[in-house]
Amino acid sequence: MKPQNKFSIGRHQEQAAAEQNTSKAAGSGLEFQTPEELLQHDAAQTTVPPTIARRLSQSITQPAAPRRPWWRKLMD
Amino acid sequence: MNQACADAQSSTTAESPLLPAEISALYDAHSRAIYYLALRFLGNAQKAEDATHDVFLKALRNLKQFRGEATARTWLYRIAINHCKNVRSAWHDRHVLPSSDNEFFERVPGGESPLRILETKELGDRIQRALDGLPPEYRLLLLLVSDRELSYQEAGALTGQSADAVRGKLFRARKAFAGLFAQTE
Repeated sequence: MKPQNKFSIGRHQEQAAAEQNTSKAAGSGLEFQTPEELLQHDAAQTTVPPTIARRLSQSITQPAAPRRPWWRKLMD
Repeated sequence: MNQACADAQSSTTAESPLLPAEISALYDAHSRAIYYLALRFLGNAQKAEDATHDVFLKALRNLKQFRGEATARTWLYRIAINHCKNVRSAWHDRHVLPSSDNEFFERVPGGESPLRILETKELGDRIQRALDGLPPEYRLLLLLVSDRELSYQEAGALTGQSADAVRGKLFRARKAFAGLFAQTE
């Protein structure tokens, strides 16, 4: 079980969101108690490039490329 | 219906209308987590994009092997971790001289205070620099436990150790990350 209290995380996120809103107006920053909270914030801001779904779709419809011979890896 | 698809459909957001139904639900539910892990573990957006594509392609091709013993998220993480380690080892092992964990933690100043951010503009770069400074095992652990859907036990299973070992290593990883993050200002 992770030691973080879900309630306190939720409260902190609300606080962080409130602070973020405030920062736009007053120039103040955000504060995170643990690296995990910081990384959660970073992950939430990260968008998955839409090109991945397109490439995946193409890869699924195309037949798999023939396997490279093992010795080609040594040449790279 | 496969358990992986059933798990995923609970949070489908139709971000991938081009994909077949069997992988679309998985992709919508887990692509952000997989992409973020790849992005911060590999430290390169293009490599992360390639890795995410490859992980979901592998998942689709091995969907029948998913037996529902783990959640879809942990199953995808397992594929992603193996893939990212292979990508890293190809270049990294040839160019980077590894140091032992003890040497690293003696060298890096630990941080205890909260992580404060005044400027969110370059936050991603700062986080990446701090993560890059950690030994790969600690970086991976921090990224995995940051996912609220993953317990310490699952993070331990994915990295081949007990939940207690995860807790012990996280203590050091948090401290080192905070110290490294402070240095990025």
